[in-house]
Amino acid sequence: MRRWLWRVLLAGGLVALGMWAWTALFPSPERVIRKRLTELAKVATVSGNEAPLAALLNSEKVAGFFTADIEVNLEVPGRAQQVFSGRDDLVQAAKLLRSAAGALNVEFYDIIVTVGPDKATAEANLTLVARTASERDKIVQELKLRLNKAEGAWRIYRLETVRTLSML
Amino acid sequence: MFVAAHLLIMELMASDVEPAPSPSWIQTVLIGRNPKRTAIRIVILVALCLIVFNRFVLVPIRVEGLSMMPTYQDHRINFVNRLAYHFHKPQRGDVVAIRTSGISIMYMKRVIGLPGETVTFHEGHAYIDGELLNEPYVKTRCDWELPPRQLGPDEYFLVGDNRSMPASDHTMGVAPRQRIVGKVLL
Repeated sequence: MRRWLWRVLLAGGLVALGMWAWTALFPSPERVIRKRLTELAKVATVSGNEAPLAALLNSEKVAGFFTADIEVNLEVPGRAQQVFSGRDDLVQAAKLLRSAAGALNVEFYDIIVTVGPDKATAEANLTLVARTASERDKIVQELKLRLNKAEGAWRIYRLETVRTLSML
Repeated sequence: MFVAAHLLIMELMASDVEPAPSPSWIQTVLIGRNPKRTAIRIVILVALCLIVFNRFVLVPIRVEGLSMMPTYQDHRINFVNRLAYHFHKPQRGDVVAIRTSGISIMYMKRVIGLPGETVTFHEGHAYIDGELLNEPYVKTRCDWELPPRQLGPDEYFLVGDNRSMPASDHTMGVAPRQRIVGKVLL
């Protein structure tokens, strides 16, 4: 009886290990995108005492997460709407933000990924929480990102804000 | 039957075999007859309660920000009752939690406008279908001016209690019913 039980437990353990190995070696597109967006949040975070060279390198790293023709549409309450396109403009905006904010902590919560039927495009909805050294309150903003897969990497080609509470 | 059982007990008591010492009733009540099994049962029960309550019934939250002052102070701990609106719809005056892309980050606001109503702000006062809304929870005066907004059949107008900041800096507006996670408990 005991031997039989041990065999069942061992088989169950092996199946679980196999499933874990499979998902680790061949992760689903949803998991890859989630991991990539978490990396983006880490790269976008600015420590207060960042050296100028490190700041430049991190801004370049941020650019790697977006396509060259990225479209950005930001509508934040109380601020003017900002629309711009192109990776260079985005990097420039990121550099300005980094220098103005001093320290910036960026986190993404509740990343919901929907992969398109072609498996080459995807949409991600997430909540950005940012805290700067100068502002007392956290900045909370829902975002919708559209991504495509090119040269083996998922990159964002459209970024837009979502109004949780709409006034229109 | 009772007599037979009684006789059997008497016979057992009279025999030479000493019965094993039975645990005290307090011990039996607290840890059961088999402590190992009781411990496993407690662990499973606690884990189930935590999962069910945290996710599906009462979601613990920490208030951050000033938009619900003075009703809810910054950093206060509270709970969101997710079952509150299973049997009835949100009511005017309810303080509710509104989800963003998930429930890790939620907005806490008060319902002032119900489906089908027209909400407007004039000289800092809220009007519903042209009638002044009595808001005893608002302790600060403001000069907000917002154009009339007709709500859809499934839309609610939500706003914070703290009206001391300009309307443009205050997160408020219309949310569909499915965005409302539940009612704030305390």
